Amino acid sequence: MKMEFTDAGLIQALRSDAKPDAAIRYLYRTQFRITASYIRQNSGTIEDAEDIFQEVILVFIEILKKDKFRGESSVSTFLYALSRNIWLNELNKRDKSKKRDKKFEIEKGTTDLDVSHAIANREINIQLMEQMDKLGETCRKILLAFYFESMSMREILTSLNYENEQVVRNKKYKCLKQLEIMIAGQPTLVKNLKSVL
Amino acid sequence: MNEYSTHTELLIRLLDGELNENELAAAKKIIAENPSVREEFENLQIAKNAVHTYGLKTTIGSIHKEMMQEIKSPATGLTRKIFHYGLRIAAVLIVLFGLSAVYQYLTATPEKLFSENFHAYELHKTRGSSNTTLEDLYEEGDLNGLIQQYDQLKSPEAKDCFLAGNAYLSTHRSSNAIEAFTRLERINKTNNTHFFEEDVEYFLALSYLGNNEPAKALPLFEKIHSDPNHPFNSAVSSWFLLKIKRSVSVH
Repeated sequence: MKMEFTDAGLIQALRSDAKPDAAIRYLYRTQFRITASYIRQNSGTIEDAEDIFQEVILVFIEILKKDKFRGESSVSTFLYALSRNIWLNELNKRDKSKKRDKKFEIEKGTTDLDVSHAIANREINIQLMEQMDKLGETCRKILLAFYFESMSMREILTSLNYENEQVVRNKKYKCLKQLEIMIAGQPTLVKNLKSVL
Repeated sequence: MNEYSTHTELLIRLLDGELNENELAAAKKIIAENPSVREEFENLQIAKNAVHTYGLKTTIGSIHKEMMQEIKSPATGLTRKIFHYGLRIAAVLIVLFGLSAVYQYLTATPEKLFSENFHAYELHKTRGSSNTTLEDLYEEGDLNGLIQQYDQLKSPEAKDCFLAGNAYLSTHRSSNAIEAFTRLERINKTNNTHFFEEDVEYFLALSYLGNNEPAKALPLFEKIHSDPNHPFNSAVSSWFLLKIKRSVSVH
């Protein structure tokens, strides 16, 4: 059954640690076409729209979790502003033309919603995800099971076929430390991250 | 276990919320007093957050695939239902239309075809001309009075015959109508004139239908149908001709 959400209900569902799947589906049904239409009208393809929309949802959820959404506009208006700015930021990165750089500056100046924080987060997220991709699959699985899916050591033991809980605990410890070392090896990333906190 | 720093295990347990009150106080003290430990703890927090973000990104990615199938599908959800219902309704309408056509074809009789297609002739007054008595009566709708006057005429003119024929048709006296219209045709032939020639073809054909003589009506209707310039051409469709042929065949 397709669920309907009010803005308040949507924010609550996306902010909670419980699975936000229904709320994300709702965003796709109500917002994707708007984002896709804007991107396609501004030098983008449908594939660009798909990539950008995934980023928009990710950034929006993180904004909600950090209580950075001030609620000065509707969720729909905010997401549109977010999509527009993330896409223009992406176009700037691609550096397709100087004209577009100029346009970006104009739009950035006229937006009434503060999404600059989100744009900064986007860059950091991209670099962090690169570090996660470099981490081995086993480590990713065990860290995701513990920190994202909130599974207990016993559940991870059963799910990933380890010998005992202590082995799982040691493995998790090593994996997190490995990731911490990889991140510490990117001083610019760490610096930028701390500056937006 | 602690192969990286003396405090890493403590920091991770702090991060995971596993420390008791005393351990928590000790950890906080170490972090506050030791910048390198504080930096390590901050980096571990970043690592933990990165894992969470990665999980969220993966979740969004899997929902994305599912939703793209739904969104890109040409007919989704309600639209699909409406489309299917629409198709069913269209199919039912086509069947009903077909059945109706078959019914009309099979039940076509000369009388039915006559009553479905007969419309009283509208008299067009010629500018500057004065009405005859029959024209006045026709305009007034006094058809019986018109017929009485017509019967008393010893030498009716073409127009008189035409009006009388229409008055007979309107009062369901088809055989009399046939007589009046054929009389008009004879007058035209004798005088080499063409008064009401095309009108009479149509109304005479209708009269034959009304008189249950479809075989006589058919060649007249076929002539009208084959002549695109005939004023009654649009009144004689192929479907109408088909039904007349059917009524001829069963007659």
